[in-house]
Amino acid sequence: MAQTVKINVTVNGKQYEREVEPRLLLSDFIRHDLGLTGTHVGCEHGLCGACTVLMDGEAVRSCTIFAVQADGHEIQTVESLGTPDNLHPIQQAFIEKHALQCGFCTPGFLMTLVDYLGDNPNPTEEEIREAIDGNFCRCTGYFNIIEAVKLAAQKMASH
Amino acid sequence: MKLEGEHVFNGPREAVWEMFYDPEVLASALPGTQKLEMVAENEYEGAMNVRIGPVSGSFTGKLVISDVVEPESCTLTVDGRGTPGFAKGVGRVQFIDQGDGTTLMKYEGEMNIGGALASVGQRMIDSVAKTMIRQAFEVLDKALEARLAAKASGSEVVDFKPPSETEFAAAVAKDMAGGLTKIPEVRLLMYIIPLVAVLVLLAVLFRGCSG
Amino acid sequence: MAGKYVHQSILRLEDPELITGNVQFLDDIELPGMLHAAFKRSDYAHARIKSIDVSEARKLPGVIGVYTAEDFGDYIKPGPLQVPPPTAIKGATYVARTTMPIAKDKVRFAGEPVAIVIAESRYIAEDACDLIYVDYEPLEAVVDLEKALQPGSPLVHEDLPSNEAGHVRQERGSWEEAVKEADLVIKRKFFINRNAGAAMENRGIIVQWDKHAKQMTIWCGTQSVIALRNQTAARLGLFESQVRVITPNTGGGFGPKINTSLPDDVLITYLAMKLDRPIKWVEDRRENFLATTSERDQVHYCELAVKRDGTIVGLKDFFYHNTGAYNPYMMTVPLNSQTHTVTNYRVPNFLTEFYVVFTNQMIVTPVRGAGRQYGVFVMERMLDAAARELGMSPVEIRRKNLLPANAYPYYTSIIGQDFVEGVLDSGDYPTSFQKTLELIEYDKFVNEVQPKLRAQGKKVGIGVACFSEGTGVGPYEGARVTVGGNGKVVVTTGYTSQGQAHYTTFAQIVADQLGVDVKDVKVITGDTGYFGWGAGTFASRGITVAGTATHLAAQKVRQKALKLASKILEAPEEELELADGVVRVADIPSKFISLGDLANLANPMRGTMEPGAEPGLEAVAYYGPPYGATGAGAVGLIIEVDPETMQVSLEKMAFVHDCGTPVNPMVVDGQIHGGIQMGIGDAFYEELIYDENGQLVTASFMDYLFPQATDMPKKLVLGHMETPSPLNPLGIKGVGEAGAIPIPSVFVQAVENALQETGVEFDRDTLSPSRIFTYVQQAKGA
Repeated sequence: MAQTVKINVTVNGKQYEREVEPRLLLSDFIRHDLGLTGTHVGCEHGLCGACTVLMDGEAVRSCTIFAVQADGHEIQTVESLGTPDNLHPIQQAFIEKHALQCGFCTPGFLMTLVDYLGDNPNPTEEEIREAIDGNFCRCTGYFNIIEAVKLAAQKMASH
Repeated sequence: MKLEGEHVFNGPREAVWEMFYDPEVLASALPGTQKLEMVAENEYEGAMNVRIGPVSGSFTGKLVISDVVEPESCTLTVDGRGTPGFAKGVGRVQFIDQGDGTTLMKYEGEMNIGGALASVGQRMIDSVAKTMIRQAFEVLDKALEARLAAKASGSEVVDFKPPSETEFAAAVAKDMAGGLTKIPEVRLLMYIIPLVAVLVLLAVLFRGCSG
Repeated sequence: MAGKYVHQSILRLEDPELITGNVQFLDDIELPGMLHAAFKRSDYAHARIKSIDVSEARKLPGVIGVYTAEDFGDYIKPGPLQVPPPTAIKGATYVARTTMPIAKDKVRFAGEPVAIVIAESRYIAEDACDLIYVDYEPLEAVVDLEKALQPGSPLVHEDLPSNEAGHVRQERGSWEEAVKEADLVIKRKFFINRNAGAAMENRGIIVQWDKHAKQMTIWCGTQSVIALRNQTAARLGLFESQVRVITPNTGGGFGPKINTSLPDDVLITYLAMKLDRPIKWVEDRRENFLATTSERDQVHYCELAVKRDGTIVGLKDFFYHNTGAYNPYMMTVPLNSQTHTVTNYRVPNFLTEFYVVFTNQMIVTPVRGAGRQYGVFVMERMLDAAARELGMSPVEIRRKNLLPANAYPYYTSIIGQDFVEGVLDSGDYPTSFQKTLELIEYDKFVNEVQPKLRAQGKKVGIGVACFSEGTGVGPYEGARVTVGGNGKVVVTTGYTSQGQAHYTTFAQIVADQLGVDVKDVKVITGDTGYFGWGAGTFASRGITVAGTATHLAAQKVRQKALKLASKILEAPEEELELADGVVRVADIPSKFISLGDLANLANPMRGTMEPGAEPGLEAVAYYGPPYGATGAGAVGLIIEVDPETMQVSLEKMAFVHDCGTPVNPMVVDGQIHGGIQMGIGDAFYEELIYDENGQLVTASFMDYLFPQATDMPKKLVLGHMETPSPLNPLGIKGVGEAGAIPIPSVFVQAVENALQETGVEFDRDTLSPSRIFTYVQQAKGA
């Protein structure tokens, strides 16, 4: 049948060994092969950022990466950030500032911000806007997201 | 979409005309060509595979040549359909003897595209088409050179190796974008080039005339 | 009316699960044995189908079936109307050509499905689509609205005499008289382009048929579960109770998800039954742009009759509306344009007329704003044109004509999308306008800031616009409120959610009535297994109509609780209160019974009940208003235009809004923010462009420019007013679309103001830098 390749990927700290078709997108691998559906697919052409995950700590768009390219790498998805009873400070900040409405784009923002705030713990508002410019949101108009990032930076600084 | 331009070939008009008459040369100038055959006088059918990042598939094209004035000019009508969409065009090609051993080729045409090609590739098509034509002419220049050299030395074998699909696409990408290829989104768009080039060149170069 | 919860900015109850990726959106759902669908779509906007060769596709390993119209036989026919025809409007004419589930013999828009593939995976299904060969005979495409109505134009529907899909003319007063009375008649033409809803989640559907239980379950992020259920049941010859439609978490709706009897739900429900396996279909982004409905083009020819002092005597608006290849949604959008043209100002004579035109483009159905913003655009632009000619300021001319605070209820004499005369229920436009001017510091900007910056060569400009929003229209919505044995409350409604916080706001309303903690109220929306009545999520009617139904149901439960508790606690009802999850005697808190215990007592296992009594603490209520509640407001915008690149940066925006009682102010703000993003997209960037062959050339985010964080105003100030609606007990008005409505108008005005020395005037929205440049060059040359 279709040719498959064996890959070894660590996702949220857990190692997975799977046979995949070379053309399988990383986003589909994460969502359907591994059942981690927190990462969402908005455009499949790398522009909306909803599918953002961390690959070796850097924010990447999983819809324009093949699963085979993740072989030997570490992936982090939104599921690694927190649980309803134990939210990540960024998640807590988003809730407090009403920075999500339908919630579809939110995981992408969170992963982008985990990467960004890790490197830039004290951004100005202008820097925040630039940092999230690659994540599309249709519901919130971004205003509350920007406020949430400011609050998240504060929360993370005090930790 | 309007296409027009010109190119100077380093060779006499008859040689240029003859080269264009050779379907193997044309097919090699268009990577991905699966077949190219004459089905009736002044009618050709071709098939080609196209790989363009988000848009890929096979295309079948029909080319009809009309208003032939050998070795000066003719009109080409192309109708290509395939999985990435369709392309229809009409072009007028002229070969002018410059009197100094070179030939000026002028072309002017219009192309209508549709399907995935139009809906996703729109922004790139104009500039891509022009670059593709430029690159293709470079290939043809080399082919002409090889032909003339073979003729001059009396050898049968024409020492010309056409570029592979990937080489071709890479050359176009490099020519077109320069620094732009660093941006992932644009890199994706770069792959639309081969298809457009193929279509454009189908219209412009797929010809053979009676005789 | 404020209780413990209503009027409070409670943090959303649904957020912790939502933000941790713990909830399911449609594509997250996997069912055993599930198959995947993909559509083969037409590349041509207008063509006859000569033949379709699916033989190769059928042979591909992993393909279960490939179907064309032929394979479905009589099952393929135009779908039902999505809204009733406008018979209530005198003289309205229309034809109905509803959506075909799959093209039969002819394709009428690029993207129309011609075949459907069912396969083991989506990847294989798409591979198979590439192996389907369709032989088309291309026809000339109809794309220009005005040319489409000229004799000799190709016909989108060949059985019709022309491409006219409808015609409505409404008048109040007399335009002819107005012209006579006026000092000046100003004429303008406007073009408004097409925009997409572009929700972050694309559309999809999952259908499962249980052949033993004879039960169909449909998961779909639809805005109208009941319509989907009923239309599916009717089509397949099932009882409505045999079809259950469940909305998973939905990633935004904005309008296009309200449509039903689309190719996906028509064909996949049929095939799920036939193949006896669950089938999933999710569109990709290109399909969303190409083949999910979008909204508009309109071409307006307007005339404004005014007196020298700026008083409006009359307005005439004649326009063409592009409905695309089919018109299942009839005239909702242009009717909204009609009704919202004159809902802020005193316009004694108003003549509005439109023609709906078929074209070989995608079908048009409402997108946030649903045509309202273009009624507003017409009025605001005409006022600006008049102000220009009369040498008045934009503020002056608006002040002169705004409806006063005592004008309500104001009968507009114009029938709207709910087929009744539009009545403005309450409002105070002069105050909201004044508030906006203060928040944007209009006088200071015009007198001090602007001159100073202009002297430095900075092209700064300011704009102000007023708007209103018809919300909360009928027919009705319903809700059931049930107190469980655990003392917690479940609220169910047929209304659907796409992120607008119903799980919190409806809970707030109920918690106030029943004296429980808002966290103990669970809200279930959009599942016909729980509640089977309702019209759908549209026209900003959730909190107003469904919220009111929820309130009424909660009130009924409250009454039941008091009545029963009164017996049990042996105290008169007047002395009882509901608080902290119990019913207790107000002065003797130790005399109480928990709601849970009360609910159990209300459902005796044995014995007798009083005649007429209903078991449990549960009630259902429906609410349908006589007409919609009108929200309104104003917006001010300060921008700067780069003199060379013509790039516009949004410096400051002040948005004042009146939606009556805000159940959750934080949520209201969020709705306005989201609307503003879409309004900015409308004004600035977003355009679905079809070429002369009907090809959509902007079918990805590369070309359809979606506003991002850096495109939002640097500073946003929101102001609120509350003139409660008299139409419902809580005084609520809708707010979902408000943010989107006035932005195109104010944006265009601000850009003209910034570039005033060029004399440029814009006759359209979507002012990209290159467009501004072109207009300015033309103005300079003129």
